[in-house]
This record gives sequence, C-alpha cells and structure tokens, in this order.
Amino acid sequence: MAEGGGASRPVILEDYFMTEEFLLDKTSEEDEIDLYNNLTFTSTAYLEESETKTLAADPVEAPVNGLEEVVSVGEEAGHSETAEEQLMLEDVLEDESHHTEPQLAYEATEEMGEEEMDVVEQEEEDRTSKEAEEQNDLGDPAVMKAVRGQFASEAKWAPRPRLFHRASLSRLSDCRTPSFAPWESVWGVAGKENHTEAASKSDLWNSALRRASSRSAVEQSPMMSDSMRSPYPFTLPRRTRRVFSLNRTSGYASPSFRPLFPNVTSPTWPMTRSLEPLFFSPSASSQHKFSLPTAMTQLHPLHQRILTQRQQRGGEKKRIPYVEPQPTGTDPYEALMTSLEKDWVIKVQMMQLQSENPQRDDYYYQEYYRKLERKQAQKGGRKHEVPKLITPYIQKVETYESVVRIPGSLGQVAVSTCYSPRRAIDAVHHIPLEQAVGNQRLQVLYQIEKMYLQLLDIEDIQQKLVLAPEEQHSHFCEKLAHEVGHIYQTLRIEGCNNDCNNKEEAKDEFLQILLVGKGKRLVARLLPHLSQEQAKQVLLTITRHLPFLIQKDLLDETLPVLYSPLGDVVEQLTFSEMVNILQELTRLQPDSVKYSLMTIFGNKFAVSLLYLLLSHGESCLSSSMPLELNSGDFEKWVDMVLLVAKELSQVSKDSRVEPLYLPSNLLFLFCRYVDKETVNRLDVKME
Amino acid sequence: MNYMPGTASLIQDIDKKHLVLLRDGRTLIGYLRSIDQFANLVLHQTVERIHVGKKYGDIPRGIFVVRGENVVLLGEIDLEKESDTPLQQVSIEEILEVQRVEQQAKQESEKLKVQALKERGLSIPRADTLDEY
Repeated sequence: MAEGGGASRPVILEDYFMTEEFLLDKTSEEDEIDLYNNLTFTSTAYLEESETKTLAADPVEAPVNGLEEVVSVGEEAGHSETAEEQLMLEDVLEDESHHTEPQLAYEATEEMGEEEMDVVEQEEEDRTSKEAEEQNDLGDPAVMKAVRGQFASEAKWAPRPRLFHRASLSRLSDCRTPSFAPWESVWGVAGKENHTEAASKSDLWNSALRRASSRSAVEQSPMMSDSMRSPYPFTLPRRTRRVFSLNRTSGYASPSFRPLFPNVTSPTWPMTRSLEPLFFSPSASSQHKFSLPTAMTQLHPLHQRILTQRQQRGGEKKRIPYVEPQPTGTDPYEALMTSLEKDWVIKVQMMQLQSENPQRDDYYYQEYYRKLERKQAQKGGRKHEVPKLITPYIQKVETYESVVRIPGSLGQVAVSTCYSPRRAIDAVHHIPLEQAVGNQRLQVLYQIEKMYLQLLDIEDIQQKLVLAPEEQHSHFCEKLAHEVGHIYQTLRIEGCNNDCNNKEEAKDEFLQILLVGKGKRLVARLLPHLSQEQAKQVLLTITRHLPFLIQKDLLDETLPVLYSPLGDVVEQLTFSEMVNILQELTRLQPDSVKYSLMTIFGNKFAVSLLYLLLSHGESCLSSSMPLELNSGDFEKWVDMVLLVAKELSQVSKDSRVEPLYLPSNLLFLFCRYVDKETVNRLDVKME
Repeated sequence: MNYMPGTASLIQDIDKKHLVLLRDGRTLIGYLRSIDQFANLVLHQTVERIHVGKKYGDIPRGIFVVRGENVVLLGEIDLEKESDTPLQQVSIEEILEVQRVEQQAKQESEKLKVQALKERGLSIPRADTLDEY
C-alpha cells in the first residue's frame, strides 16, 4: 500500500506548492521533517508486521482502511521510538535523497530533480546532485518501500490543513468514513508526544492553509481538490504521478487534442487547463513525440457535429443539471478520475474511429447515421438543419502504425482500428499484365477488374463530392471528370462503331467486356457517371450489337442489369436520336426487318428496350415541348410504329417474351397509328 | 442521442450513483469513480443489494473493482427517486436467510425437474457446462 505511493510524493509537492512558497517556515518545517522521518522510518519492519496485524484484526474494514492504517501504525512506531530520533536524523535525511534520485533520473529532467530536492530538504541540495549517479544500490527493497511510505506521510503535511479545514468539517459529522480516525490520531500522538512540535505544526498548517486558499490555480486543479487526497493519502500520489509522467513524457494531452473536448466534458470535470503550465515541460514533451500523427488526434467529424449540435440546442440548459445534483461540497470523492485520465480513455476509444475515409472504413455507421438523419428530416417538426460534414477531417495520415503506442501506458494498448483487419485484406495481388498477354479473355477480365477498381474510386469521389464544402466542389468535379474520361477511354467504344462486321465483333474490346457478367455490371454502374454524349454512344453501340450480345447472353442472362441505367439514357434522347436508334434496332439483321424484330421480341432485354424507346417517342410527341424534327424523322417514326405494331400482332405467343417493364402509354401510341382490329389484338397480347 | 464511442460514453456518468448487474447475478450499487477502455469499473461506497420478492437488503462492500467483462448492465440511479420504491428494506441477516430459503427451493424444484426428465429418459445439460460452448 505504501509502496509506489511514496515515490511520487515529491513530485506532488513540487507541483502544487511551488518550491519557494512552500519553504515558508524553514526551521519548524525541518524539525517537523526530522520528527516525521523518525516516526515512520525507524519502524520499517514494525510497520509491515503491525500492518498485517491490523489487517487481520479488522478484516471487514481492511480493504477500505488499509491505507490509513499504515499511517496509524507508523505513528505507533514513532511513539515508541522517539528517543532515537536525533540519532537517526542524519541517516534518514541521506536515505531520503537516495530514494528520490532514481526517480529523478527516470524523469529525465535535471531542473525537475533540483526542484524536487528543494521540496524534500534544502540543506541537501548540493549533495544530492553529486550522489545522483550512484543511487541504484538501494539494497533491501523492503527498506525502500518503507522509506517511500514514510515519505508519503511526510509530504502529506502540507496538503493536510486544507483537508482538515474544509472536508473534515463536512465529513467528521458523518463518521461513516473511517479514514478520519487515523488523522485524528496523528494529532493525538503528536500532541501527547511533543507539545511544541504540535504547536509549530499547527502554525505551519495554518500558513499552508492560507497559501493554499490564496492560490487559485492550485485550487482549481483536480488533483488538489481535498476530496482526492483526504480519503486515500497514499494511493493518490501514485495516480498523480502516473498522470504526470504520462503527460510529460508522451505529450499525450497534446494541445490539438485537448481543445476539442471541452464540449464533451460534463461540467463536473475539472478542466486541466490551469495545470498545464505546471505539467508541461516543453523540453520533455518535444523529446518524446506521441507516436501517432497529430492529425490522428482529432474528433471524429460526426461526433464533432453531434457535439456542436448538442451545444447549439440548449447545451446550457442541459449542463446545469449535471452540476446541481452534486455540488462540489457534497461529494468529496468526486473527480477521483482526473480529466487527464478521462481524456485518455476518450482518446483510446476515439482512436478506433480514426479514419481517413469514414465512408469506406466506417460504412455501416455512416449509413446508419444517414438513415437517422433522413428519418429526422422526414419528421420535420422543429427547424431541421443538418450541418454539412466538413471534408475528410484527417487530411493525410503520413504513417501507418499497426500498433498504437501511447507512451506511459503499460504494455500494449488494446485497440483495434479500422486499419487492422483491412490491411490484411488489402494484400491482394493482381495478376501482372504480362501473364495475361496472349490470352484475350484473361486480358479482358483483367481490364474489367482494373476498371472496376477505378469505378469504385469514382463512386468514392462522388460521395466525397456530396459531403464536401462548396469551395472544394470544383476540385472534386475535375477529378471525377478526369477519372470518368479515363475509364471511358479504356472501354474503347468508338472503335467498335466503325465496322459492323461480325468477325470484328468477336475481337472488339468493348463487346468483349460486355460479354462478361461483371463487365455488364461495370457498364451499368458506370453509365450514370458518363456524360450524355458518352452515354448515348454506349446506348448506340449496345443497340447495334444486340444480336451478338443476345447470342452470348443466353447462358447467364445478365443483360437486364443494363436496362435501368439505359432507360435513364433513353429519357435524355431527342426525338431524332431516338428514331435513329429505333432504326438501328430494325436493321439488326441485314437480311430483313421482320427477322430483326423477331430477334428483339424473343429477348427480354431487347423487347424492353424497344418498348422503352417507343414509349419515349410517344411522350416526346405528346408533350407540349416543341420538337425539332429533321426532315423525314416523323415519317420514319410512323413507319417504325406501324412495322412494330404489325409484327407484334402477328408474332406467336411462345416466340415473344414478357418485357421487364411495360410502359403504360404504348397502347395509346398504337391507337393513334394503327386500325382498331390490330390494336385489340395488341391489347390482348400485351396484357 | 449524442454519445462517445465505446466506454468513453461512460465518462459522463462518473461520480454518479450506479447500479451494476454482474454476470454472476449480483447487483452492486455504488458511485462510479473510474473507468477505462475495457469498462473496468471502480465503484465506491458500494453495497451489494439482494432482492428476494418484495424484500431487499444491502451488504456494504466498500470499494469494488469490477472487471469489465463481468458487467451485464449498468445504469445510473436517480437520487431523487431512489427512495420511493415499493420494496421493503430488511436487515442483512434477514435477507440472507430469505435468499437461502429461496435458493434451496429453487434447487429442490431443479432437482425434481431433472428427476422427472430422467424418468422420461431425457437429460438437460447442466447450466455450468452450457457456458463452455
């Protein structure tokens, strides 16, 4: 219990009571130290022994009170051995300096060490710096423990007045907190043993009290709150120490991290701002850089957004209740977890959400959140404004660290990041192109694979574009256009429009791509990104080579995936463009129109496309928009409609397949051009 | 609706009175003092509350450090509404006695059930062996 705790004691003193101020009453303090050294130090073995004794004697209380018992035991010991104190004095003082030294070396800052010395004992100042190198042979660890514990109790003198002054008043009344008894016995023992000693002590306490209350920075600091030191006089310092070294060595609470959190903290958290000047030694923090890039230490944008939202809508209203139920006076134990520690936990947890591309790395949450937002928007009600997400909040993560290291934490910090599983997945080798040479099909597959990745990139960019702020839109648009242009080039659509030779078809790259299921899906997915001209070109090419595609599509029937994106393209067509494409459809087979229409009626995708085109023509004509008719376009259109109607009415049921979608205005169209009998027949057929 | 990831969301609950249900069925009530990323908890001024029927009893436990994996449920206790409960507080001895009786009854019925199943040629796996799979 005592070990470890004592180690940090000087640090605390140094931190909270700046050296000069602390040395108020030099003589009385020295006396006091001497006394205390002897009280506790001389009783090492005794201490441990009786500690176990008391633990055994009072098993129920032990877990809670063990700490205080050390103190009381120490006092007992001191009580019995006061006679020796003068003799022991020198040794003790020396030993003390010994024990602080290793720690100083550990802390690795010279000036720190000196300050600590000041606190411990001024007259030893010059000697300790000499001895600093040879302090490792401490001998019996038990002795060291005891000394540290004793140290702790010694260092306790200064903060204690505050404890008595305020906390005790509230707490002494309800004596459920047993931690008080030992302190009282301290008083008692001291009083019995040496009245003058006690008097000087109380003097010191009073002055310390004055000092403490006059220093607002110390008052504010969470570590100083009396609630923290009173119940656990020995364990507390260790905590503080740890935090302290963490802070200094790691720069963990980097400034870029901290400012993001005030809105997160509930007001019961004491802010550490006031501590920073005490805690931050710039030289140390610059030496030990936190191993993650600073960009990593930011909040997830969604959280940021949420937090700002929360703040906006009556953050004030919400916050007050947090403070109300537990005003600082009523709960002396609050803030046992310092805000530094809280920040640490938050940081560890936040680390899991760090990502350059949350849309990809955190897909499900993003989608979920979007869904929530949409729902919220639908509900409407109060004014709903969803602030736009600020660009990727991590611009660049320079290094990828598979293991998160936070200096000051023991062992490896167990976090999983979005990287850890993904990196393994990414270790996919693409077939080198050289291997594929000579095998056209392999090459095509490779091409598709490559383009698909490009397509995914395009979609990523598209998503970012939606979320990006206005000023970056042009940048993303450019990038998008470039990528799309690149893919379109790779498709080499133009090449296959020049010749309609059947033999050439088999070799054409674009058609080869369309022959593969994934290729079709690729084109279908790409179509919305293409410019109108490019999309029309794709439509025209597909139309021209329909028989070839149909013939090769018999097995897997994936052509329909192209239907809906092509439908969007058809919507954009002008009347004459549409007529052109219709004509292409009737010219599929060089020999006869009838034969080509038969081919079309026999294929789901083709017949759907035909209906779509007819429907579009009809809506073009029936809309009030003025048509720019080229000469002969309308005649061609009428011819076409008549032809289709005639063929359709004659075709037998089993050589005709149901379309994917039957446009509702087709019958009206036929009504306009065809005689009633045919229409009736069509009606029956199309039902 | 706004929350922090993982156990960081617990940070807002620190220094408030909480009820913690553990995996072994125990119920602890105490002030949450500290947490970490595993949801290991430090409870302060803890009492273990035993409920039997409409009665309950508190056993003071002091400081309780809970390993995170054992936490089933954790919730803040509204200090204002804490007292208006239909349950009746009894002494520790009494509640322990009642609990013992209840457990005995449970074991009895369990035994009967196993017996009955055995007679029908069935067997149910014991609860503790279930855990392993």
